[in-house]
Amino acid sequence: MSRTLTLLGIESSCDDTAAAVVRATGDPKILSSVVIGQTALHGSYGGVVPEIAARAHAEKLDDCVSEALDRAGLALGQMDGIAVTAGPGLIGGVLSGVMCAKGLAAATGLPLVGVNHLAGHALTPRLTDDLPYPYLMLLVSGGHCQFLIVEGADRFRRLGGTIDDAPGEAFDKTARLLGLPQPGGPSVQAAAAEGDPGRFRFPRPLLDRPGSDMSFSGLKTALLRERDALVAAQGGLYERDRADMCAGFQRAVTEVLAEKTRRALAEYLCLAPRHPALAVAGGVAANSSIRAALDAVAQWAGAAFVAPPLALCTDNAAMIAWAGIERMQIGLVDDMTLAARPRWPLDNGSAPMLGGGKRGAKA
Amino acid sequence: MDAPLLAFDTSAAHCAAVVVREGRVVQQAFEPMARGQAEALMPLLERLLQAERLAWRDLGAIGVGIGPGNFTGIRISVSAARGLALGLGVPAIGLSTFELMLDGAGLPSASDLVSVAAPRDRAYVQRFAHGRPVDGPELIDLGTPTEFTLPPETRVVGYEAQAIARATGATGDEAEIDDLPARLAAVLTRKAAEGAPAKRPAPLYVRPADAAPSRDAPPEILA
Repeated sequence: MSRTLTLLGIESSCDDTAAAVVRATGDPKILSSVVIGQTALHGSYGGVVPEIAARAHAEKLDDCVSEALDRAGLALGQMDGIAVTAGPGLIGGVLSGVMCAKGLAAATGLPLVGVNHLAGHALTPRLTDDLPYPYLMLLVSGGHCQFLIVEGADRFRRLGGTIDDAPGEAFDKTARLLGLPQPGGPSVQAAAAEGDPGRFRFPRPLLDRPGSDMSFSGLKTALLRERDALVAAQGGLYERDRADMCAGFQRAVTEVLAEKTRRALAEYLCLAPRHPALAVAGGVAANSSIRAALDAVAQWAGAAFVAPPLALCTDNAAMIAWAGIERMQIGLVDDMTLAARPRWPLDNGSAPMLGGGKRGAKA
Repeated sequence: MDAPLLAFDTSAAHCAAVVVREGRVVQQAFEPMARGQAEALMPLLERLLQAERLAWRDLGAIGVGIGPGNFTGIRISVSAARGLALGLGVPAIGLSTFELMLDGAGLPSASDLVSVAAPRDRAYVQRFAHGRPVDGPELIDLGTPTEFTLPPETRVVGYEAQAIARATGATGDEAEIDDLPARLAAVLTRKAAEGAPAKRPAPLYVRPADAAPSRDAPPEILA
């Protein structure tokens, strides 16, 4: 690794306001990582409300930056650059982060580095485990689900991904349909632990098709149908029904992810990487059933399984600072015209999977 | 000698900015812009500073338009101002559209109601006494401004001022902000002279966020 770089990272693309200081030496170090969540603000709406998220970011970002610097025991002037998520995400929050970073960069004369949020996730295994390129990354969160071969700090090749919802969304929706608290990931997992995964047979969409594309929207529809049938028959749900549905749902998601990962791994292994590895990132990677299944698939394929600690799997700014460091190391910096982008696919070479029109592809 | 001041505003379809030295406007810009303010703002500010041979660290305070106005536009400027203030260690001072509107309306009276256009035939209004806000801002429906009582001898200033005045028995001065950089300079100069504000600038939204509670009713859980 080249010279020592210390970067401030800023992240505000969804419902977490975050700032962090990361230093790259021989062994990269997270000097601080502050994440201020907004779960309570969005609680009654059953999902993240973009305008509410944007309002919160605009008034918390500078506090978050101050706290990250304080915890690191460093002043702004001791940074070598400022990295900020410039997309993709909810544009109001991304804009606030980008403008705050521009203000800080102008005031200090430090280089500004715009980072793709997905690149932040995808490069995290290099921060935590010094993973060599190329590795296979499954990015699976509330907003995203894709397989990427990570070949460099700005070189990503997408093998496949969801053609509709992300699994995290499906967990949240399941929790809402069953009257469990948000966020849905932990509450569905806890209920599933008590349930019988064999009682309800939910669909495994796209398993019958080749490749590693996925679909999760049909799963929640199937769950809604089963729920409504039970409510119609018995006037409500027993705890037992709820646990069984969660268990069945979680098993379906797990099996789809495991099988698609097996196929993506096979494609990745054709590159004959010297140190084959499967890495995961995103909040859904915190699910223990999914994590265990992915670990087993990696073992079967002879690849190492790398799952960064949970706090670095979910949205955070340390990953943005780190991705900024990797970009600076290969000479990629931005200027004051840096744009905030609601949509920004990591892989511009592959055909768009989601979205289109004048706003461009979502993934 | 007072340090130079910089103010900017993107609360509607424009980028406006001004540099003030010793109480005088020395550089100003007003660029109509329907989109792209986030990309254009900082280069615009740097051009104005360079024209004056000023560096960012020469500034004594930053003024920023906090609205009411376009939510996204307000956040663009407020976020930049807060980043600059943190980085420079100087105060950022919020300048409301009400203050900017009132600034051009001659001497403030004992009771002014300042009105600013809001979407869908409504207006943002705020009461001022001797040039200082007395209550928080409100959103009123221009169809029913009568639901609103004002102290006697109130002057309504701004958007649809005469209609609001007629309905409430006040006098009305129709006005619009046609010289934004000059007003940013004037209001910032006045507020900066009062010292650093206790709070950092925050967007003045007035309207709550559009958000509907979840439509998914949870099922009854049977014991």
